Amino acid sequence: MKETPLSNCERRFLLRAIEEKKRLDGRQTYDYRNIKISFGTDYGCCIVELGKTRVLGQVSCELVSPKLNRATEGILFFNLELSQMAAPAFEPGRQSDLLVKLNRLLERCLRNSKCIDTESLCVVAGEKVWQIRVDLHLLNHDGNIIDAASIAAIVALCHFRRPDVSVQGDEVTLYTPEERDPVPLSIHHMPICVSFAFFQQGTYLLVDPNEREERVMDGLLVIAMNKHREICTIQSSGGIMLLKDQVLRCSKIAGVKVLEITELIQKALENDQKVRKEGGKFGFAESIASQRITAFKMEKAPIDTSDVEEKAEEIIAEAEPPSEVVSNPVLWTPGTAQIGEGIENSWGDLEDSEKEEEDEDGTDEAIILDSLKMDTGVEVSNIGSQDAPIVLSDSEEEEMIILEPDKNPKKIRTQTISAKQEKAPSKKPVKKRKKKRAAN
Amino acid sequence: MAVEMRLPVARKPLSESVGRDTKKHLVVPGDTITTDTGFMRGHGTYMGEEKLIASVAGSVERVNKLICVKALKTRYNGEVGDIVVGRITEVQQKRWKVETNSRLDSVLLLSSMNLPGGELRRRSAEDELAMRGFLQEGDLISAEVQAVFSDGAVSLHTRSLKYGKLGQGVLVQVSPSLVKRQKTHFHDLPCGASVILGNNGFIWIYPTPEHKEEDAGGFTANLEPVSLADREVISRLRNCIVSLVTQRMMLYDTSILYCYEASLPHQIKDLLKPEIMEEVVMETRQRLLEQEG
Repeated sequence: MKETPLSNCERRFLLRAIEEKKRLDGRQTYDYRNIKISFGTDYGCCIVELGKTRVLGQVSCELVSPKLNRATEGILFFNLELSQMAAPAFEPGRQSDLLVKLNRLLERCLRNSKCIDTESLCVVAGEKVWQIRVDLHLLNHDGNIIDAASIAAIVALCHFRRPDVSVQGDEVTLYTPEERDPVPLSIHHMPICVSFAFFQQGTYLLVDPNEREERVMDGLLVIAMNKHREICTIQSSGGIMLLKDQVLRCSKIAGVKVLEITELIQKALENDQKVRKEGGKFGFAESIASQRITAFKMEKAPIDTSDVEEKAEEIIAEAEPPSEVVSNPVLWTPGTAQIGEGIENSWGDLEDSEKEEEDEDGTDEAIILDSLKMDTGVEVSNIGSQDAPIVLSDSEEEEMIILEPDKNPKKIRTQTISAKQEKAPSKKPVKKRKKKRAAN
Repeated sequence: MAVEMRLPVARKPLSESVGRDTKKHLVVPGDTITTDTGFMRGHGTYMGEEKLIASVAGSVERVNKLICVKALKTRYNGEVGDIVVGRITEVQQKRWKVETNSRLDSVLLLSSMNLPGGELRRRSAEDELAMRGFLQEGDLISAEVQAVFSDGAVSLHTRSLKYGKLGQGVLVQVSPSLVKRQKTHFHDLPCGASVILGNNGFIWIYPTPEHKEEDAGGFTANLEPVSLADREVISRLRNCIVSLVTQRMMLYDTSILYCYEASLPHQIKDLLKPEIMEEVVMETRQRLLEQEG
């Protein structure tokens, strides 16, 4: 699919924002996005996430005969692929320019810098050497593919273990992972690419451009460095004219950033090593957080309501008698009553009202727990009240209160607790709260 | 500044009570439409094992003996006479390439473009060199489909004063299947803004010009600042269109207008909340049903 073109509005907006030193995601000019490194169950497999850009790296090895002119050196092979799921514009035939550029840059960064000791990959000079193959797949494109790819490549190489080989005279024994632990590769240093995007003919620069910023940039400068501040590769594309001090400044920034990233990589590798040694679970499945609020599904938390009765009784037992603010249900006609008015009002017997308030508290607790259970149509009888509950019909009538003036009123509520209607509008919730406070 | 946060909730399926008397026959790719071999197969179907099978997801349409499946979500397929709103992506030798949300970019030939002043003459070499002066990459235009090539690419023309480069306004991109085919797609809504409903799913909302310019021919863009009242009307219209689209309602001037009127009691930014969207669209649906019935 062809890429949807950027509208003029958006282009202008991005450029104006950059002129005012603002970035769309709130970063500062020299800030990197969050880097997350996770490892797979096999050695040499990792996924690097730079913000939303994701690269999967996988290292594999094979015994082959060496090149004729380099008989004592192993062979390194790098391959970056832009998967079709990374962006709609990536199609099997259509990505050549970008693909070639990225691959060349990656090769120069990793091969020419001699970060991997190829001499150590030799098994039998002239006959058998290890061929190490690094495959990188871009899973999601949100800008700055080259940085993410270089981090993924070097992390995968550091993580990889090759089978152990021993040579005794003419005999070469290749040990399986079960016989002897696989051996890590010998890596001298970790070159990491840092990208700088330039805007308005080199006036403004941003580190780690995301996809939108890449679309409006004038040129790109990529510096590959290691933590010893050695520049492995430097490339400027886009045809912008850069001044000497701009390039020097960028290299200083790159030095700082590479240090941070290298620390992060070391930490991630150590963590993974520790987890594997302790026998814990590792792999991609473990790196997906399933307990976060933004995870896809929240399982219903089952709530244990078996001790609700006891709790309610406890509360009632420990409850002090409520303050003098009491309100009795007012019987208008047989069958309808009004409970509470919000004003201090004591009608009728103090004792009666006390008892009934405490009952209410019990039912309050039960009601709230019930609503948590999300169970409609459950009728809650007076907990703590001693008589057998009278279960009324399942009608959806809210709160029916049947009063026998001389006995305790039995309050039976259906689940739809809307505040009691015409008689006492919105007084109920107020009353409940007050009683709760009194009970505590 | 108040921030509203929502937790993820399961999406509710669109209500079935749409009030349609004839239930549409919806199919997905691979569904059998009919086993009767007497029908001719149209677009979106293929014959397999003595049955007519659908190859796209959509509704089945039948005209006498012809069965075709009209896809619900598709790229724009051009028909002669459609009005489209498109964006210039390339300036080539004697034509412009226009992006219209279809499989291939549409072409606007230099000879199909109105010259300023409405002259009718043969296009010369100077005109070719001045092409970029008329339309550049990134400009929005409204045009009509003149012809459809055999590979599906669409050829446009702007041979009328009402077509041409678009000035200030808001573009809303929706699925082409939601724009109802009508007599005219240029509407001046009574609420104070005008709208162009492109058949390709691009909807352009702009402030109604005070006086109709006859001689401009659609080239000069009015860059005066738009008043706040106009901008509010346009934002509200845009949010209304987005709510109609989320509830999969057909877009035409009446539905947009009713939706606008139903949304007046709410604040413009509230129209983006799912509950308010549902409420407003439900009211619109009611009014439309009353009007029809």
